[in-house]
Amino acid sequence: MSDLLDQAESRARREEGTHLLVRAGEYSCALPLALVRRVVRALTVHPLPGAAGELEGLAEFGGEPLPVLNLARLVSSPPGANPSYPVTVVVWVGPPEARETIGLSADAALEVVHVPAGSMVAGDGGFVQGEAPVGGEVVRVLNLEALGNEA
Amino acid sequence: MSVPHARGFLLVRAAGGVWGIANADVDGLAARGTGYRISACGEVLAADEILGVVEGLSVRPAAPVLRRYWSELPAGLAVYGRLPVVVVDPRYPPAALRLGEEGRQPGPGRAGEGQSGEGQSGEGQSGEGLDEARD
Repeated sequence: MSDLLDQAESRARREEGTHLLVRAGEYSCALPLALVRRVVRALTVHPLPGAAGELEGLAEFGGEPLPVLNLARLVSSPPGANPSYPVTVVVWVGPPEARETIGLSADAALEVVHVPAGSMVAGDGGFVQGEAPVGGEVVRVLNLEALGNEA
Repeated sequence: MSVPHARGFLLVRAAGGVWGIANADVDGLAARGTGYRISACGEVLAADEILGVVEGLSVRPAAPVLRRYWSELPAGLAVYGRLPVVVVDPRYPPAALRLGEEGRQPGPGRAGEGQSGEGQSGEGQSGEGLDEARD
């Protein structure tokens, strides 16, 4: 019985640490996989006049209007090379009781990785939760719930 | 010309975006140079192009994350065909729609003038197009 509980706890911890790694400018960013709804080829975005640089505009996704934010701008990454397969990552942001769906434009979706909580060096305590080494590279681990909180 | 008080929304293109105004709010519509002048709720708005009048627009409140990065106060968001539409309350028009607003980015002009054709075909329109809305 105790073994089963240990296994379940271990699996839950592992799922918590499972992230989708994406390229945003020169940075690699890890998005909590549990909050990723879909990765699609970059959606057509219609700009909103007067919007901040982070907000690329509105797209249509599944018949609904979808605000699309530029991930590289959100993490203050220098621009990278022209992406050959840019994507929009459709994610949930905000606290569980008030989730919103948004799109994050990124240069590429790379792979699914495990980021152990203990390997992370704390970040700004907000959207950039911290930095962690993954496959010989330092990646920004993002807190999507905080993105919805920082209103 | 003027727009009668019909159900639905007047869809316009301005400053590169697509905007929806409730027909009930529209008092008048007139050609102005290469664009249009719209009177609504006592405000005068400007549009580069009239896309048509549509019914059954499912308007949703703007997400808080959108409001954080955009200072305008849209009445809601919708999708028409595959075009995202910002539904505006004419009493609080966004700068992009205000007539004579400094810094307003002019659109590319009327339909067919350098447009991609997106949203101009009348696809899925209710039949209450501009022609029928004219006096």
